[in-house]
Amino acid sequence: MFLSKIWFILVALFAGVALSIALTAPRPMVQRLQELEGQRLDRAEYAMEQMLKVDAHKWIDRVARLGRDAVLAEALDSASRGSGELGVQHRTVQVRIQALLPDLAGAGISTIVAVDANGRVVARVGGDDDKSFGENIGGAELIDDALRGYLSDDVWGAGGRLLRVAGAPVLSKSRDRIVGALYVGAETGPQFAERLKKNLDVDVALLLKGKVIASTIPSEVLSGLPDMVEQHRQDIDNLKRTPALPIDVGNETYLAVAAPFPGQAGLQKAYYVLIGKKPAHADMRSLLASTSARDLKWGSFPWIPLLVTILGIIAVGLFLQRFEVEGPMQRLRAELRSLVRLDGAKLDDHKYGGGFGGIARDVNAALEHVSIAMSGAHPLGSHGPGDAPAAGSAFAGGGESHFAQAARPAAGPPLIPGLGAPPPPAFAPPSDEPPAASPSPPAYGTTASEQDEDGHIRDVYEQFLATKKECGEPTTGLTLEKFSQRLHDNRAALMAKHDCRTVRFTVYVKEGKASLRATPVK
Amino acid sequence: MTSLRTLVPLLLLALPLPAVAGTVKGTVRVPDNVRSGRMNQGYWRLENGNVPVRPSTRKPGTIVVLDGISGTHAPPPKTVTVEIAGLGATPRFVVIGPGSVVEFKNTGKITHELSVPADETLMPIERLNPGTFRHQKFGVPGGYLVRCSEYPSLAISVIVVDSPYYAVVDDKGAFSIPGVPDGKANLKVWAGGHWAHEESIETNGKDLSIRIESAKNQPEAKDAEGQGKEGDSEGKEPDSKGSAE
Repeated sequence: MFLSKIWFILVALFAGVALSIALTAPRPMVQRLQELEGQRLDRAEYAMEQMLKVDAHKWIDRVARLGRDAVLAEALDSASRGSGELGVQHRTVQVRIQALLPDLAGAGISTIVAVDANGRVVARVGGDDDKSFGENIGGAELIDDALRGYLSDDVWGAGGRLLRVAGAPVLSKSRDRIVGALYVGAETGPQFAERLKKNLDVDVALLLKGKVIASTIPSEVLSGLPDMVEQHRQDIDNLKRTPALPIDVGNETYLAVAAPFPGQAGLQKAYYVLIGKKPAHADMRSLLASTSARDLKWGSFPWIPLLVTILGIIAVGLFLQRFEVEGPMQRLRAELRSLVRLDGAKLDDHKYGGGFGGIARDVNAALEHVSIAMSGAHPLGSHGPGDAPAAGSAFAGGGESHFAQAARPAAGPPLIPGLGAPPPPAFAPPSDEPPAASPSPPAYGTTASEQDEDGHIRDVYEQFLATKKECGEPTTGLTLEKFSQRLHDNRAALMAKHDCRTVRFTVYVKEGKASLRATPVK
Repeated sequence: MTSLRTLVPLLLLALPLPAVAGTVKGTVRVPDNVRSGRMNQGYWRLENGNVPVRPSTRKPGTIVVLDGISGTHAPPPKTVTVEIAGLGATPRFVVIGPGSVVEFKNTGKITHELSVPADETLMPIERLNPGTFRHQKFGVPGGYLVRCSEYPSLAISVIVVDSPYYAVVDDKGAFSIPGVPDGKANLKVWAGGHWAHEESIETNGKDLSIRIESAKNQPEAKDAEGQGKEGDSEGKEPDSKGSAE
């Protein structure tokens, strides 16, 4: 029992620890997943920055190559000098650019603008306003830089659109002076966002002046994004990006990293926001809800170790149960049966440990007690041969030993409840319950209890008489009065001796003769 | 009437007049991005490699103001016109007294949306179509950067001073404010669209020479560190970097 208890406690502790781990482990796991997602967004942001930088260099190279064209240089030179018609120069430059770059959209270009050395627009290609020319855009920093001799890039936000631009000077044919400048613009809108999503494997949103101008997820659900980014303006100013921020979008939670676009668009609240999915909630219901059939497949779930562990726990428990409970119990029952068969006088209580040892000792003590009690009682067998009702019969002859021996097993069951009664004799099974009395009205001057007793004795008499006849014994002289008187006397003696409520008699056959067994009833 | 005629000059004589002392002059090392002529940079800025890069034609717009001088009077209010043509404004900075009005006149073909982003209650965003103008009164001394929200490179500095002692820093960073009276004064430097430097000085009747080395960069200015190579044709512009063939 001791080891079983220890095992039970160990299993309970193990189950408690396992349950605690099951409840708490998802939380740090989710935090870790969130960190990893944040790191993934960090890397994506770095990659995005590098991509923008490479793109900017690519556009600068492209516009610089374009600026080396002799036709463009000549047209811009004459426009800068004010010679010739601007309209003619406009047409010349436009046609030339279209000839050099016939497929603007295929090249990813939204617009190309040529300006003369004074910053005046000579021609535009692409965009909605490619027929307009003549206005001065020399105040733009990128144009000023190009007219000074710099190749540079910028990001502009105008008309609700973002435009990544690159500008370069156009040198004269003799390459000794700047005669104008060119800039190309690449629209940074939905197509750009989709390209970013494809390359970076994160969702992307582009913000300008507090509005989402393009995103790879529905912009309606990102209405709170500009405010959230604006709240972290300090981080953006200091670190050029935000940490991974959680955004609740409907029932979904996302993580977002925002960074500003460079150039003058940075003054127009122009940001790109990289958005990743936040891991699911860590509570048990959410975890179970997110469990799929794939998670429970043989390759995904450790079914075999789990089954082996469960079977091992059950096997150890059963073994300990067998070792400590069932084994001793079977041995005890076998020994008790031996006692019933009168193969021994008492149980060998040293063989049993724990509770069973205590039971065995209690049984031994009870047997000893009953034995002592029986040895001091007046057994039925004390009838003398001449005494009525059955001189020389089993009822009289040898009755003492029969009564004393029969009383032991009969006394067992009431003294040791729960251990089960020993197998009863074939003819008269021992029972604590009094035999059913015949329903007869109580006589005047007697109590109901006395009437029961008389009825019981009458029944026993009839059974005894019948048994004797069956055994071929003589019944001459065996009258009810004598029989009853004898049993009353013995009953009184036994009740006084055992301090019991009453005594019940049963008839049984021993060695071919009818005998009586007395059972004290507490 | 006679007594009144004699009393007024006497009262004027009794008023404490600031003692005219000397000249406050010095040099200001303007922020790098202001000197380079490019306030908002992208990722790259490379020289063309064939012809030398020309210096910026933009005035840095750096102004040194002395205020907090007791007994001085603010410049009288006036109306100043700023002409916007294309993406440029002329002048790009104005220094005016409290109560002055600035007229922003769009003579170009591009529509602008002007405002003071730092104080949109003073001057909210308003469309300025070509050929139209907008009047804006500035009553409180301070520095205001008027910017176009569509083309942020178009920025006009409006400095409202309550003292007549101010000077515009020249291309070399030098400034000179003559006739500054004795006493304590607060010297402020407006550069790159914001107050870049501020310190208390004491004028003692002699010429004062000040060298302001560490004017802060504008917060939104981009850090171009690590991009391109060191420039070789315009060393005075620290962010003139790299060269292209």
